[in-house]
Amino acid sequence: MRVKQFAVVAAMMAAGAMPAQVRYEDILKGPSGNWLTYAGDYAGQRHSPLKQITTANANQMTAKWVHHVENAKRLECVPLVYDGIMYVTDSNLVIALDARTGRKIWQYKAEQVKRQDINRGVALLGDRVYFATSDAHLVALDRKTGGLLWSKPYADTKKGYFATVAPFAAKNLIVVGVSGGDSGMRGFVAAYKADSGEEAWRIYTIPARGEPGSESWGDLTLDWGGGGTWLSGTYDPALNSLFWTTGNPWPDFYGGDRKGDNLYSDSLLSLDVDTGKMKWYFQFTPNDVWDWDAQAWPVLIDMPVNGKMRKVVLHANRNGFFYVLDRVTGEYLRATPYVEKLSWAKGIDAKGRPILIPGQEPTPGGKVACPSVRGASNWMSPSYSPATGLLYVPTLEQCDVYTSSSKHPEPMKGFAGTGAESVPSEPGKFYMRALDPKTGAKKWDYPMTGDASSWAGTVSTAGGVLFFGDDDGQMVALDSKDGRHLWHFNTGQRLTASPITYEVAGKQYVAIATATDVMAFGLFEPAPSVPLVKERIED
Amino acid sequence: MAMVLLAGGFLLPAQDNEKKEEDLKNPHEGKAEAVEAGRKQFLNSCSGCHGPNAEGGRGPRLLKSGVVRGSSNRQLFTLIKDGVKGSDMPPTKAPDEKIWEMVSFVKNLNAPAYEANASGNAESGGKLFHGKAGCAGCHAIAGKGGVIGPDLTNAGMSRSYANLRESLLQPSERPSEGYLGVTVTLRDGKKISGIAKNNTNYSIQVMDRQSKLYLLNKLEVSEIVFKKSSLMPEDFGKRLSKAEIDDVLAYVSRQVERVPVPGGEAGAKEQ
Repeated sequence: MRVKQFAVVAAMMAAGAMPAQVRYEDILKGPSGNWLTYAGDYAGQRHSPLKQITTANANQMTAKWVHHVENAKRLECVPLVYDGIMYVTDSNLVIALDARTGRKIWQYKAEQVKRQDINRGVALLGDRVYFATSDAHLVALDRKTGGLLWSKPYADTKKGYFATVAPFAAKNLIVVGVSGGDSGMRGFVAAYKADSGEEAWRIYTIPARGEPGSESWGDLTLDWGGGGTWLSGTYDPALNSLFWTTGNPWPDFYGGDRKGDNLYSDSLLSLDVDTGKMKWYFQFTPNDVWDWDAQAWPVLIDMPVNGKMRKVVLHANRNGFFYVLDRVTGEYLRATPYVEKLSWAKGIDAKGRPILIPGQEPTPGGKVACPSVRGASNWMSPSYSPATGLLYVPTLEQCDVYTSSSKHPEPMKGFAGTGAESVPSEPGKFYMRALDPKTGAKKWDYPMTGDASSWAGTVSTAGGVLFFGDDDGQMVALDSKDGRHLWHFNTGQRLTASPITYEVAGKQYVAIATATDVMAFGLFEPAPSVPLVKERIED
Repeated sequence: MAMVLLAGGFLLPAQDNEKKEEDLKNPHEGKAEAVEAGRKQFLNSCSGCHGPNAEGGRGPRLLKSGVVRGSSNRQLFTLIKDGVKGSDMPPTKAPDEKIWEMVSFVKNLNAPAYEANASGNAESGGKLFHGKAGCAGCHAIAGKGGVIGPDLTNAGMSRSYANLRESLLQPSERPSEGYLGVTVTLRDGKKISGIAKNNTNYSIQVMDRQSKLYLLNKLEVSEIVFKKSSLMPEDFGKRLSKAEIDDVLAYVSRQVERVPVPGGEAGAKEQ
């Protein structure tokens, strides 16, 4: 009976029960058995309709397979899954795996790249896999074979750029961003035609001299202002708007050479996906001196605000405030603190600007301020469950000692205007925090043991289960309604990536990249005895 | 100088010490005539142990050798000059200039094909590759070609010239991983033929010529027959003239993902 079942599944897969290509329309539908884009869907909710694993049976979960990535030290990719194949990345490396067994099907290595930076994953579109090398080449691979189609440089490492971004695919475009803002560069977002790799548009996050916003910088810092674009984006197809976050102004910890708001650093940008034209921007931390990149995930939901349904974007920012913006206009609607350790601002005013508390800026001797340089949250993915109406945010309660230097900044020399370190007597603590977007209130909290070194995100499911990696290297399942513990598994490794969930051949899996491996979990089933199959070698 | 024992009993000065010293410069660097002179010396003095094509014998294989590829000029020069104590590798009395020719030859055996100055006509080779020779039926370059053989878009950097030559003329010597020919018979009698991308006692992943993937649990498989020889025809040495072989190899050698440039940057940053 079991054999027959397997044969049917194999026949279905072989017969092409799935369309041969990852179509834009498929990504638009959001997650199903597949996980086709970084956050599962364009709205960035990381919520799956799968419900084989439920609050009632999650306690029967077990590891299904582990794929070791050779030479890996710190995997940060979000695996994508299509038609039974999983695509994962490391630095300059893409691997396609059988998503049921973790066995490798192909791998592509960009051998000639001199840099080795972390990588956050691939984009899928058509019959291609897209990813960015550490030295900022956009690479297109044949999805079935891993064969190289083209590799095009989109940013120059000699100008301070590198890349960690998971490319973003929509329509016939692949959108990428750049890293390097901690050492001076000029951030941009760029879109490339998916077929040819030809550049469709590029928008800089730091204005050129004379452009609006350029007055919010100093002379040198305008050319090297940072505003990195290293996290992938979310997208509203009805508005044709792409939502992309920008990083810190440079130098990170000293604002004296860049008096002004430093547009468009630490901002959320709404871009026309076809042209890259900026529709609006919202800056969270003007003249930031704490390195609070806005690279937290913009989550798109529709919800009532003052009795009227609004299309909003949720953003749990590094600076400790949880923002709600109108995503059509960029209008500021509300911000509420979501951490207790928050010392730099009393609140956010009616226009969305922080009400600063004086004396919180870094000093040459060091000033304790909160949140920490890693932020109240960071790029690790939150998730939103339409069933509970809650946003699940990996949250860090921590302060840091921030130091600054007025030394003349030299770009591309690793100078950030100095930095931040933890307060030894006050270790940070991670929480899985459920926030109610309608009020900004905390609904429940799940404290984690650990040394505050986690960079792991979340995925939520229609089975009512919230999965995430905790601060002790454990995969954890909670009841998304109330944060009740359901299951955990010690991966034995630090977790620095966000989990996904997918289905192959009628079975739901949850997968996460650990430091050196990719692991998949599912419900326990007694293993069938597999008879040895006769193998012969013939001429 | 500390020595380390590497795979194949190949002894090299320890890397730690090496880092402290600047590498030696080969006075013949980039000179094709030095490679040729080194080859002659190799045939006279070294091939008895290392094999006429450097494929290994009593001494370690030097062709397509990760150890050679990872060795510095200093390491190779010292090894040839001083030999390896306690092994059959003797020291040499040859003058330094001759030793450097041997270093040039051994390094060239392992250099990326792109840098090996292939003598054929790449343009004619391209026409053969995508035409009469039929290579593109199985191998793709930049998405043009078949799937049943390894992708060759970056063959000029990922393989040495010697390796490409061997793959063309003696393809079954070292079949590429993930490209072994296989026919799988399912329990319902259906047969699937293609290449085995992976195989364990519990699952096998097969791709057919139409690039359709079969992810099979062994529970559904009744028999697996692997092809002993490579799917690549063995008779290119007869099908093509010597000049045509050189042309095809020149064309494939020119296929690089990126044209190499000296220098570059290193380092990692968390962002």
